[in-house]
Amino acid sequence: MTFFCIALVWLTGFGIARFLFPAPPRWSLHTVFLFSLATGVGIGIASCLYFLGLTVAGPSLLFLASLGIIVAAVALLNGMLAKNRGTALDWAPGPPTPAYLTGLLLLAIALAATMFVVHSIEKPHGEWDAWTIWNLKARFLFRGGEYWTDAFSSQMPNSHPDYPLLLPSIVAMCWTLARAESISVPIAVAFLFTLGTAGLLISSMGVLRGKTQAFVVGILLLATSSFVQLGAMQYADGPLSFYMLATLALLCLQDRFPSDLRFSIAAGLAAGFAPWTKNEGWLFLGAVLLARLIALLRFGDRSALGPQFVRLAVAGLPATALAAFFKLHFAPANDLVAQKSADLIAHIATFGRWVITAEGFVKMIFLVGGFLLPIALVLGLYWFLVRFHIEEHDRPSLVTLLLTLGLLLAGEFAAYVAFPPDIITQLNVSLERLYVQLWPVALLPFFLAANPPQLVSRPAHIDTKAKPVARPPKPKRRSPQPKPADPPVRLN
Amino acid sequence: MIALAALALASSFWLLLDLISVYSQSTATFGVASFEDRFSDFRKTLAPHTVLGYLSDNPVNDPSNQAEFNLTQYTLVPAIVKPTIDEHLVVMNYHSATPDAAGLRARHLTVLRDFGHGVLLCRNETR
Repeated sequence: MTFFCIALVWLTGFGIARFLFPAPPRWSLHTVFLFSLATGVGIGIASCLYFLGLTVAGPSLLFLASLGIIVAAVALLNGMLAKNRGTALDWAPGPPTPAYLTGLLLLAIALAATMFVVHSIEKPHGEWDAWTIWNLKARFLFRGGEYWTDAFSSQMPNSHPDYPLLLPSIVAMCWTLARAESISVPIAVAFLFTLGTAGLLISSMGVLRGKTQAFVVGILLLATSSFVQLGAMQYADGPLSFYMLATLALLCLQDRFPSDLRFSIAAGLAAGFAPWTKNEGWLFLGAVLLARLIALLRFGDRSALGPQFVRLAVAGLPATALAAFFKLHFAPANDLVAQKSADLIAHIATFGRWVITAEGFVKMIFLVGGFLLPIALVLGLYWFLVRFHIEEHDRPSLVTLLLTLGLLLAGEFAAYVAFPPDIITQLNVSLERLYVQLWPVALLPFFLAANPPQLVSRPAHIDTKAKPVARPPKPKRRSPQPKPADPPVRLN
Repeated sequence: MIALAALALASSFWLLLDLISVYSQSTATFGVASFEDRFSDFRKTLAPHTVLGYLSDNPVNDPSNQAEFNLTQYTLVPAIVKPTIDEHLVVMNYHSATPDAAGLRARHLTVLRDFGHGVLLCRNETR
């Protein structure tokens, strides 16, 4: 029954994703993209409906089961009956992909799956935050009956009662439908999000830069042990990472296929679930909207601004409104934000806090990921060998990605300086998680800009892109989009 | 590219071996499962919306104190557990062979029921 509930949620997401981006029913890059997107869409919508159901009808199994089956049936029916239209996602042209690279990707998948399973067998309830916050809330929602709002009781400050409910809601929903509190539910949800993040990164990179680049980025992400472990910990950082990546990858695809505005709808949907997943989601929402605005105004087609933002807002509004409703109606004040303003000012005025935070942020660049060598240095060497090569049409995407990342890091930096009373403990327990959360998002611009490596000798007639190109004269003023005739600009 | 992939995969494999080695040596004396076992009889007696105080015989500065409190709360949901004895009902999580009767008396706590495995339900006579 537990498996049936998880499958129902995933199929709901798949139906909606396929309705948005219909594709022939065969194994393809498009299908991988839909399978990956389905995880976040299905879980996001199901958790929102579950919480709405609780607030409207209370913990009624009949209501919940009816709602779940109706929504899943409608979504699946629409998805299956959707006629092929719009964009078909396929591998971007690129250098040939050697067979051993496929083998290495399969090895990375096997290693990641083994690590996830080993971790989950040893710690089926997840790590500290899972049983202190996320699964604890799920238990309250499931076991609490008419007192389900005790999950947000201010009498349990350790459980951070103001944290949003995407993860607890989906777990509690599956337990309620299955009428059993199976620990396999949070494990399965965590696994789907981890796998979905990897699938989304590989498939979107495949569409944007081709198979070789997609496989390289997939190997790197799946071999990042701290990314896989973060997933197995059953924290909300994994789902938030998924939604951030989904939003940004879909915006990149929007730039690649400017006439198909369904990418903006899907991006809005994913962005809307971010504040419903973690408080940092609000920061992400603000950052991505501001970054997108600047990117389109400065580097993109300004006439696309209105249509894209309308779709982003319409699709993202329901989940964001639900998160706001939870914050305003149920959640007590956040313990960090609720501090006295004099304390916050004192924090900000303490120079040492800035130094400690900066030191932590810089150090973590070299420590993140659990690699044998600092991955920042290895990626630096990789960049030196392959160099960046930015196509004109990728500029808005890259600016969106880099600005969002920059704003997120700046916002988190400010939060570390201003809020936690014990900044060292806070940095120790959360900074690596923050970096791992942003890791899939950070890989996207790096490999979007990097030249694909030449792994096999190629016939001369297809080898045009990797040859050194003479630097064109720098334009004094950027021309309006589209400008396909311009030569690509090398940044190094 | 091969070096990048090799480094990534080697790191992942190294950590996996590390993980297996650590987990194969660990004993299940602490963690969610052991708390679920210890508190299972007590939990069955709890109704939703119950608020319990909490007392442990761990030293105040013991690093496991906070973890054990959180595990107790996780195990006893849907009851709310507060890190204080200023509640009418108090759950005691003790590790010694017998609870410290004098210590309980000094805190005005009367034992209502001993659930075994170091779990006591007490009543605070002052509340």
